Amino acid sequence: MVAHPRDQGDSRAARRLNEPRPAQVEAATGIPAAVGGVAVASVREEWRVADRWWTEEPVRRRYFDLVLETGENVAVFYDLEQERWFRQKA
Amino acid sequence: MVACLMIPAFTLRAALRGEPELRAKPVALAPVPGTQPLVGPCTGAAERAGVRPGMRLSEALATCPGLHLVEQDPAGVEAEWERILRRVEDAGLAVEPVQPGCAYFETRGIERLAGGVQAAVQRALDAVGEAWEPRVGVADRRFAALAAASVAPAGRALVVDDEETELFLAPLPLHLLPLGPDRREELSGLGIQKLGELARLPRAAVADRLGGEGAEAWRLAQGEGDGRVSPRRPPAEIGETLEFPEPVANELTLSRALAALLDRLLTREERGGRIPRRISVSAKLVGGGSWWRAATLREPTAEPARLQQALAPKLSELPAPAVELRLELGELTESVGTQSELVRPRGSRLRSRLREGLRQVRAAVGIDAVYTVVEVAPWSRIPETRAILVPRDD
Repeated sequence: MVAHPRDQGDSRAARRLNEPRPAQVEAATGIPAAVGGVAVASVREEWRVADRWWTEEPVRRRYFDLVLETGENVAVFYDLEQERWFRQKA
Repeated sequence: MVACLMIPAFTLRAALRGEPELRAKPVALAPVPGTQPLVGPCTGAAERAGVRPGMRLSEALATCPGLHLVEQDPAGVEAEWERILRRVEDAGLAVEPVQPGCAYFETRGIERLAGGVQAAVQRALDAVGEAWEPRVGVADRRFAALAAASVAPAGRALVVDDEETELFLAPLPLHLLPLGPDRREELSGLGIQKLGELARLPRAAVADRLGGEGAEAWRLAQGEGDGRVSPRRPPAEIGETLEFPEPVANELTLSRALAALLDRLLTREERGGRIPRRISVSAKLVGGGSWWRAATLREPTAEPARLQQALAPKLSELPAPAVELRLELGELTESVGTQSELVRPRGSRLRSRLREGLRQVRAAVGIDAVYTVVEVAPWSRIPETRAILVPRDD
């Protein structure tokens, strides 16, 4: 007997795009001084995101848009809930 | 003979299939959001506590404060009913489904093979499974079969001989008749509570007072009516499901997800060029429960734009954010007779080249190598919730 298509595993999950990735950030004063061992040349912008505070998974982040000494432009954030640094295309 | 297979309170039973411990408790099906606040079918414990199907929600809760309400699960109901029908069809019976929980079939074709009417009907009961507490009524006419099924004990069949039909129907209540509540109330006001009381009235008087609807009810109460069954063609259906990383309520996002699912469905190999006449969309909702809508197309089509047009407006009826969306193509017809296009639509060559390129990527890297970016909430302040990646098959 041929299995009915409804019974076959035809479900595939969608995935999130641009998930945050853990980052190695040196920030003694709270402002990033180096990302992945590369010194920060300048902080272009800084902003905070507080969202979903009404849920069991609130989001509280402090974002930094940085230019590294190599000339690379990166965005990192400090997750105030997890107390960890992440890298993400903002 | 005509047999009527019945599973009472099927919608409630299907909704409780994941929580069997609730079956012994006072439970009722919650009203559909946006409709009249009336409770649906309820368990025996709820009925013993005074709750009745169709009662106002406030009254039901006042009557039975411990009443547990279960969310409607139309997609689950549809899927469970389809599974049951397929099992009955696998047992060699051609069924005509009327609604979830009620179907007719002819016993004649299988009586000799099974060894009699009772044995043929027992096949159907066994195929359904005793957990559903099915019952079957058998008679020469559909209405008598339905009436017999409504009084048959769980897991048993009741066979009514043609000569005894009128006698059998006489003491049964009027609610079995396909009459509107107004007409039923009118008859009740005249002191008519049983089918036999209606059958004893002169036909002309009933038709004069209640019109065509009343005349038809009188005919059924006499034990007359249709004795034919129009079995369905077992549907060949193919489906695709998309799980969202988080609940989605935005219509634009749902519409894009629908488009992605359509793309995937139409390229499924088992479709083999056949064209759907029916398309259905269902969703699992965020707080439990589900939602289901179907559209039957005037002409079968495999054009994504027309299928999208048929379904997209229904997405606005979604009562809560969805965590999963499922699309099914049904009643697939052969593509013979379809007029081919005289002029190829713009961009079709580019699309076929893209499809070929993607096929090569998939062959080289793996089946899950190609995704489509679907914007979910481009306005979100949280970057990872702005877009999702949907697997792509074409």
